[in-house]
Amino acid sequence: MMKKELKIKSNKTNQQKQKRTNPLANVFDDFIDFCQSKSLFMLHYCTGCGAIELPPAMTSRFDMERLGIQPMVTPRQADILLVTGYVSVKTLKRVILTYEQMQAPKYVIGICSCTVNGGMYWQSYATAKKLNEYMPVDVYIAGCMPRPEAVLEGLNRLKNNIKNDRKEQKGSAWKDYYKNYDYYLGNQQNLFGKEWQTPVDVIAEAKLYGLEGEGTYGENTKKLKMVQHPLLPQEMKL
Amino acid sequence: MSFVEIISELVLMPLIAFVVGLMMVLMMRKISARLQRRIGPPFFQPIYDIVKLYGKDTQVSHGLIHDIGIVMAVGGYIGAEILLPVPGMEGIADKGGIITLSYFLMIPSLGMALGVGQCANPNGSIGISRALTAMLAYDIPFIIVVFGAAWHYESTSLIGMIEYQQANAWGIIEMPFLAIAGLFALQGMLGKQPFEIYIAPAEIATGPMVEMSGKYMGGLFVMQTFQLYTAGVLYASLFLGGGESWLDLLPKAFLVVAIPMSIAFLFPRYKTEDLIRILWKWPVMLALIGLAFIL
Repeated sequence: MMKKELKIKSNKTNQQKQKRTNPLANVFDDFIDFCQSKSLFMLHYCTGCGAIELPPAMTSRFDMERLGIQPMVTPRQADILLVTGYVSVKTLKRVILTYEQMQAPKYVIGICSCTVNGGMYWQSYATAKKLNEYMPVDVYIAGCMPRPEAVLEGLNRLKNNIKNDRKEQKGSAWKDYYKNYDYYLGNQQNLFGKEWQTPVDVIAEAKLYGLEGEGTYGENTKKLKMVQHPLLPQEMKL
Repeated sequence: MSFVEIISELVLMPLIAFVVGLMMVLMMRKISARLQRRIGPPFFQPIYDIVKLYGKDTQVSHGLIHDIGIVMAVGGYIGAEILLPVPGMEGIADKGGIITLSYFLMIPSLGMALGVGQCANPNGSIGISRALTAMLAYDIPFIIVVFGAAWHYESTSLIGMIEYQQANAWGIIEMPFLAIAGLFALQGMLGKQPFEIYIAPAEIATGPMVEMSGKYMGGLFVMQTFQLYTAGVLYASLFLGGGESWLDLLPKAFLVVAIPMSIAFLFPRYKTEDLIRILWKWPVMLALIGLAFIL
């Protein structure tokens, strides 16, 4: 199971930037970027012990809301997916389903060393080691577990990425999921088997929003097309 | 009144409602923060949220009815704003009156029900069935209060009611029971704890909003601003004598909205059947006693 390393071609995406004719378009874009960095709805997927650091970060001691970050309860409404702790093979499926249901621009934050490199679960057969092999991660917050200050620091870094570094494509790792879907899908298939598919048709979305890249199609997406069937309503059973 | 004046008022009244509503949303979040000993969001947070939601790159629409539902939810309140007389502007308030207004206040819930029905999310369906149940629960005391007020002021027009109160005494002094029942109904109308059965984030994942993303959620945020403004100004015109100027009206409206908010963040919520039992028992009883005093 050789996993090829991912190369992000950031220069190319810069060149492909479409020209805007409206002179105010850049002003609007900057304003929207500013508002996006000031208002972040967070979905915390609490898979491990890192979740215990979130209540103090949200409540009166550190108060996340003063930074414009507030918790939301469904992936549709959320901007940030916070994965707090180790992801087992079983939970990773749910994390990916959740991630694909979120609406772009969407950001992933991996908290704790378990999401960075497996942490203390390095030798576990049932744990996915690196989160960014399965979905693009914007910010990692290392530590076992990181204190609320570190969590807030990481969120602030994400906010700065969104506000300032949009031109360098730092705050838009989510586009990478569409542009290099083949890579992510391949890693997912290695873990879950060749039959793996999700209800969200990522390739169709990439086509719709014009986010196709060289890496969108490949061998793994061919395999997906062999097994992919349209989502049908579940059978009613008692 | 000339045609231009009417048109400018029809545009201005919802706009002012939106701006004041944004301030009310900020106040609501500040109150919740202060009660929990937090600092709370920055001043422009409600605007950031709405711009961010409308600026999302991808959207999920579940069909035409989903789109129309949100338009109805916002449009119902915009229709209600132009029926609410405010200082200096009457819009079409003299043509409508409070009965039309109470019908308009039901449209947003029905629009949400339409839109959420198309999402086919079980949490959304549970949420909207609870929202309509809650509407049934708070509308009974609300309608009795409206009937009592109209009987007492001998007018179904909000302009007539405000004129009566400014000539005589405020409604809250002349009919205190109805005013208290109205506050109960207001708490239910705003969907705040202890009557927050249809949002219930921990149980049914915000109910009707569960499938709303991007612009749809933004539409609901805009609706919330209108909802708070309508509730505040309507109660102020029914019981607190409306306002001769904005400086007079706005503190009253903000005070009225602050009361349910301060209560809300101190309580958990009731079950659906308990909510109906409580709203049909105590506010209705109070409203009927109040009615008996003025009839």
